[in-house]
Amino acid sequence: MPVQFAAKRLGKELNKIQNGLPPGIELVSADNLEEWLLDIRVLDNNPLYLNDTYRLKFRFGQSYPIEPPEVVFVKQADRPIPIHPHIYSNGIICLDLLGQQGWSPVQSVESVCMSLQSMLTGNTKNERPPGDEEFVRANKQRPKDIEFYYHDNTV
Amino acid sequence: MSGQSSLALKEEGNRHFQKGDYVAAEALYTKAILADPTNPLLYTNRAMARLKMSRWDSVIEDCEECLRLSSSTSTSTPGGSSKNFKALYYLSQAHLPLKNYDQAVAYALEAHKICADTHDKSLAAVTSQVLKCKKERWEHREKLRKREEQELEGEVVEMLRREMDGLLKTSSSGEDEDEEERKETEKMYEEKIERIRAVFERARDKENQRRPNPPDWAIDDISFQVMVDPVMTKTGKSYERASIEEHLRRSETDPLTRTPLTIKDLLPNIDLKHACEEFLNENGWAVDW
Repeated sequence: MPVQFAAKRLGKELNKIQNGLPPGIELVSADNLEEWLLDIRVLDNNPLYLNDTYRLKFRFGQSYPIEPPEVVFVKQADRPIPIHPHIYSNGIICLDLLGQQGWSPVQSVESVCMSLQSMLTGNTKNERPPGDEEFVRANKQRPKDIEFYYHDNTV
Repeated sequence: MSGQSSLALKEEGNRHFQKGDYVAAEALYTKAILADPTNPLLYTNRAMARLKMSRWDSVIEDCEECLRLSSSTSTSTPGGSSKNFKALYYLSQAHLPLKNYDQAVAYALEAHKICADTHDKSLAAVTSQVLKCKKERWEHREKLRKREEQELEGEVVEMLRREMDGLLKTSSSGEDEDEEERKETEKMYEEKIERIRAVFERARDKENQRRPNPPDWAIDDISFQVMVDPVMTKTGKSYERASIEEHLRRSETDPLTRTPLTIKDLLPNIDLKHACEEFLNENGWAVDW
């Protein structure tokens, strides 16, 4: 794989993004082409996420978009980690789209943000994944190396 | 045996090349060639080092020698054709800075064809080279065209001026009536010149307007580049060959439907290929949209 592949594609995605993003998604920074920050909001009146904005961190490897990016929520004073049965309290997301199996190179930063938006919109459970505390305490792995068990692919 | 020592010299050259010491690598490849001047692969190795040293003319000599040697010896040796693609790829890279745009494009396309046929992993790099050559050729042609248009504008204005001067000379007696006429003539020509300048200016403005994004049909959804060699999946969706093959090497699934898909299932989309070619010939800027 030539080194250029990821950089070129990311440059073009950025180009497109700077011409506009769907409602509720905002680019915070992409100064470093390998690490982007975006803010997302849920657009309907789901009481679990009302009035909150969440920050996402994307990290891209050299083989993006053949390989998926690493995407996590990051916590800041005004940016909580959204409550969801597939989102651990340290920001790690369990979504098959972001895993080695579910990823497809036609996905993009924009489409991932939209998928996460709709994953939140559709949720009614005010809970963390089972074993959250233990996972957050014990996990030292990078998100992409974790073998999640997708017990419920409808969410 | 000289063959043995030539191989050892090449290996040592490779080690220096990997460390980035291209001068030392080039010297070792030269020694290897002196020890065995008939091995075509040694010439592409040296060409690779010379590319890094920006010695374009000697890159071309090496690659041509490699192609000559490999066509005179048996062409069906395994790996033979994949080495030939390297000679063609390097030829393209050397001709481009020398501003031999047509050759650079032609060699890149030849290299691309061999890579596509052999499913070589360098296909993505060679595809990028095709695009780069086409873009630079387009930019060069645009520059020439703009210069010619500017010259034409100057010539047309000059001709009008001369015509006007001729008319003014024939009626240069100095009586009031003639003076009136002279002013009339002068005014008419100045207006004409103004209009000519405005027409050229408008044409330039149109070109300088911000370019739209290239049309979606020309863009590969994986690399986001204009397609050079579009191939179709079973669903009828087309991707750049280099991109989809890279994806299929990792996961044999259709990127959209996730149903099973292999490299063998891909079909060339010839009409789209021609459409993309035509589009790029007119819109070389789209390589870097």
